[in-house]
Amino acid sequence: MKTFLTFMGVIGLVVCIGGSLGWSQDQVILGGVAPLSAPGAAESGAEMKIAMEMAVSEIGQILGKPIKLQVEDTRGLPEEGTAAMNRLADAGAAGVVGEFHSAVANAEIEVANQRKLPLIIAEAWADVITAKHYPYVFRIAPANSLFYTKVSDWVKAIGAQNVVAIVENTDWGLGIDTVFKETLHDQKNIDGDPVQYTSIVAERTVTDFTPQLLRYKSMSPRPDLVMDIFTGTGEYLIVKQTGELGLAPNRETLVFAVGTSALYPEYWETVGKYGVFSITKTGYHPLLGVTPAIKKFNAEFEAKTGKTPTFAAMEAYDSIHVLAQAIEQAGSTASDAIVAALEKIKYDGVLGTIYFSADKKPDYMYHQWPGAKAVIIQYTAEGQKYTDAELLWPAALMP
Amino acid sequence: MDFFVAQALNGLIIGLLYALIAIGLSLIFSVLKLVNFAHGECCMMGAFVSYYFSTLFGINPLIAVFLSMVVVFLLGVAMQYFFLRPLYTGAVERKDEYAILITFGLGIFFQNLAMSLFGPWTKKSQDFLSGVTSIGFLTVDNNRLVVSFVAIAIVLALLLIINKTFVGKALRAVSQDRDAAAIVGINSHRINMLAFGVGVALAGGAGALIGPIFLISPMMGILPGIKSFVIIVLGGMGSIKGAIIGSLLLGEIESLGSIYLLDPTRGLAYKNAFGVLLLAIVLLVKPTGLFGERHVRME
Repeated sequence: MKTFLTFMGVIGLVVCIGGSLGWSQDQVILGGVAPLSAPGAAESGAEMKIAMEMAVSEIGQILGKPIKLQVEDTRGLPEEGTAAMNRLADAGAAGVVGEFHSAVANAEIEVANQRKLPLIIAEAWADVITAKHYPYVFRIAPANSLFYTKVSDWVKAIGAQNVVAIVENTDWGLGIDTVFKETLHDQKNIDGDPVQYTSIVAERTVTDFTPQLLRYKSMSPRPDLVMDIFTGTGEYLIVKQTGELGLAPNRETLVFAVGTSALYPEYWETVGKYGVFSITKTGYHPLLGVTPAIKKFNAEFEAKTGKTPTFAAMEAYDSIHVLAQAIEQAGSTASDAIVAALEKIKYDGVLGTIYFSADKKPDYMYHQWPGAKAVIIQYTAEGQKYTDAELLWPAALMP
Repeated sequence: MDFFVAQALNGLIIGLLYALIAIGLSLIFSVLKLVNFAHGECCMMGAFVSYYFSTLFGINPLIAVFLSMVVVFLLGVAMQYFFLRPLYTGAVERKDEYAILITFGLGIFFQNLAMSLFGPWTKKSQDFLSGVTSIGFLTVDNNRLVVSFVAIAIVLALLLIINKTFVGKALRAVSQDRDAAAIVGINSHRINMLAFGVGVALAGGAGALIGPIFLISPMMGILPGIKSFVIIVLGGMGSIKGAIIGSLLLGEIESLGSIYLLDPTRGLAYKNAFGVLLLAIVLLVKPTGLFGERHVRME
């Protein structure tokens, strides 16, 4: 009986190992990480996932093998991001793309570095993600410092003197706050007047911002600009409560919804009329140029979902293509070979020709795509699509 | 002074909302002697039910609030009958542990159910009354005013029922002594079901009321659930009066505390911690909470 059981055990083990090896040799696994449920920005995660699936279906095969896309829900929580990366490494993923929240990406890069798993961050902006100079980490999204210094230029150009902000206490929010403190506070605006920048840091779960908004409302002179440095529900609530209190948007004070959530139809469902004349940013706008690649992607995405994609979807789509091309160029799924290929890559994507910098100065530039763009736009009517919003900055692109 | 009054008014409105959720939890605890850890999720279910009543069927949002309370009441009755009744029939050995696990489990189930049914996206219920009211230096969103009056009306109606009706007397009797209540002919199983149903219906009503103000999503119940637990411990487990006073205290301390107590630039980062801090101080001085009784465990 004992011999029989041992024999059956050995047979079972051989079948399992053989099956598992055979499975992984017959396909290439690409990993995806995105917030697909709350408290993460689920609307962004959902469109990133769809874009990844579109890219995989277009590519079809890598190294002559079918692709298996495994997308993990990180829920906007660092611990979930760590667990997701470990699951993907255990599953034998050749590389991972995605992520939206900087705090989660910051946890994920640690796993990428420990487990030698190439990771292309699609849409998380905190400088620290590439500033750690981890060899396995690359980024397509702009770094905070790359873009928000330009927002500071715009604030100075409109002659603002009193800028206030409510900031979520995450790597992303605090990173932007730091950029504004360094490049805006006590700097001279276009009229030669000093700019005063005041910020309040809030926990991400806060839903009532009224006490702090009342404080801003009681300021004399009234603020010229309220920066809403939040994502998801918090971003909507700040715009809504700012409008309800009569603080902004109006002739005296504008509101700038910094997070990506302001680009979705849910923005209008939740903020309603208070979103008219609000300002936001986007990495894609028709005035940046509509290439055939963008046209094709937008048409397919809209046919599939009935929604206009945002740049988060475009970044996720390009990330999969970049990873797939790197594996093809490396001729293997060995992580060091993929990293070497990524360092030399030039891929013509939806958002432009993607390549990664090898510069280590400034810190965030290492393995960063320097060509990542973003523009400032303003809604002029309720329910307006972000692609129809007015372009405010950079002035050179304005029609 | 104007600024202080505006902050205090905001704290009062937030406190009234907390009261509606916390009273339900307190009522459940006083009668069933268990903490409903799915209370926040019942609040979320009420918000979604009201949202769909008003958006799909075009029902007036205020009527939708009351319909959502009815739906959540029925849900609560079912929860009590199928999952909590064994606690009172002698079928369960470790009652406290069972009650904690089953209510936690139901909470997680409702979160995931809502995620599947309604999607993860943030939604806003229809306004009760759009626009704002300005009186001198005060500007208040009309939804908040309507919600405050409705919350006061619901709390007063509940107090009236508990103190002046036969049902209220039966609830109080079971809460004080289950066996003695049974001797005088009160069916404690029915009272359990009623108390649980009414308790979660209050949470559902609160969820439906905050929908136009703080928006709704499948995870919206987590924080109100935690806060209502803090409030009933603060006010004294099982005390309705304690829950009301605890709620108003928490609303004020969150509103004023985040402006006056700490560095105001970091105040919102610690807002959720104020309740726990207040709770710790009260429990150090009065271990049973503000109006709590000493013996409150399940027999």
